[in-house]
Amino acid sequence: MMTRLLPMLWHTLGSISLTVALCLLLTADLVWGYFCLNRRTSLFTPLNDMGLIAWMQTYGINNLFFSAWFFLLLALLALLAVNTFACTTSRVIQLLRAKRASGLQRLVFKLAPHVMHYGLIVILAGYLCSYLFTQVLTSSTLVPGSHLSLPGARGQVSLLSFDSEYYLGQRLAFWKNEVITPKARLLLSDGASQREAILSCNQPVRFQGYSFHLIDFAPKSLGGMKMKTRIDLHIRKDPGVGLYLAGMALFTLGLFFYVYEWIVYREAHK
Amino acid sequence: MMFTSQSVFQLAWVLYSLALLMSLGTGKRRVFTLFFLASGVAANLVVVLFRYHQAWPMLPMHLGAIALPLCLGFLAPFVAGSSLPRGQVVERILLALIVLLAGTALCFPKDFYLPFLKSKTLLSHSFLWFGLVGKGCFAVSATWALTALPLCWSTSCGQRLTDTMHHCHRWAALGFALWTVSMFSGELWSYLGWGTPVVWEDPALTLTMAAWFFYACYLHLHLTRSWNPAARALYASLGGLAIIALTCVPDFGPFRVPF
Repeated sequence: MMTRLLPMLWHTLGSISLTVALCLLLTADLVWGYFCLNRRTSLFTPLNDMGLIAWMQTYGINNLFFSAWFFLLLALLALLAVNTFACTTSRVIQLLRAKRASGLQRLVFKLAPHVMHYGLIVILAGYLCSYLFTQVLTSSTLVPGSHLSLPGARGQVSLLSFDSEYYLGQRLAFWKNEVITPKARLLLSDGASQREAILSCNQPVRFQGYSFHLIDFAPKSLGGMKMKTRIDLHIRKDPGVGLYLAGMALFTLGLFFYVYEWIVYREAHK
Repeated sequence: MMFTSQSVFQLAWVLYSLALLMSLGTGKRRVFTLFFLASGVAANLVVVLFRYHQAWPMLPMHLGAIALPLCLGFLAPFVAGSSLPRGQVVERILLALIVLLAGTALCFPKDFYLPFLKSKTLLSHSFLWFGLVGKGCFAVSATWALTALPLCWSTSCGQRLTDTMHHCHRWAALGFALWTVSMFSGELWSYLGWGTPVVWEDPALTLTMAAWFFYACYLHLHLTRSWNPAARALYASLGGLAIIALTCVPDFGPFRVPF
């Protein structure tokens, strides 16, 4: 009984009709999500910091009218991941069995779309991991000379100086004398050694498994009210980041081979 | 006399409209079509460059509304260069789409947001431009699918339908690849700037993902031949235009008298 049921289940889960249905449902759900998110953006903002489970148990469950689409999105994405895995794996097994017939080079190109599919699964796994297990220390503020300790790590981080570049040109009238490149010089010490690092807007600093992201800073301009120097940080320990970056790399690699095969073989031989 | 970006964009819209009018004729009018289209693209390019000049090295906010007609204007001659006679029809529909998009951008401008510091990265610019060219390719794909619709119910047009749908698929696949690169650029930017791959403050991200799944579905339908050609053409044309329109919505602002 089980020996017949399992292949049937595998076949059903990997069916292309299911893929099509899931993609259509995901499209409709995300369009619905746009209108909910547009009307209640503040409901979803905490999702960036507090993690999926905590968000679902608080904001999500108490605002179902605006968050139902998100719960549906999670279910559909989970199903899509299973469907993609079953469908792709079946096809890859077939391709590997027929390896001798097609040759190694052709095999690599034929595997390209499947590499993309596996890439998607890795990306989704990375996101899930990220939203489930990320530790976030929000609104950590540093002033020159102060330091902060990281939970579960021996390290300390202190702000040495904040040496920003100001915009002094004429072209951007609204930005005159404002900071155009914030540069916070951090001292990272783990007890045994220490090093310096520059933190900027799109240039996070990684230390002892944590990443430091610059969220806000002062002073912002040369003129006006003089504010004390400070930087506000988001400090995150995200175990999913490596996974979803690897997934993106895998997807891009597959896409490159697929496009190359498409141009070299399919279009050239028309 | 002072030219503003608004007045130059009005000029671009007039030139696009003239190109559309000329394309409806035959014979030597094609030269005029290309002339007005090139002039419209040039005027549109000036507006985009001006907006960039006001924001670089940061990203001009909500540039999509005025830059999408530009992308389509650049793509239109490649479509028209096709050997298929349907290329002309596709060109006309594309021109109508350009006029419609530019007209909507004139009536609903969203040019009052200042750029923000975190957009000062090449990733934000590649997110915008790969996305825009990708959307342009989706629009061309939807246009090819529209021209395939009448062939679907004709019994003697099998080969023409196959050729037309092949063009539709090719543009959709190219758009999908560019859209994916745009999404990945956005996710990397989001990670570097905010520490998370998805910033939930921006509702537009759901529409970006919706378009990705819509075209992932279309590519699967095409490659596996799961639906018949008529259903696929209907999906790629009307569905494609609907999803493109939806992804444009966040770039439009409140109504303003265009002239």
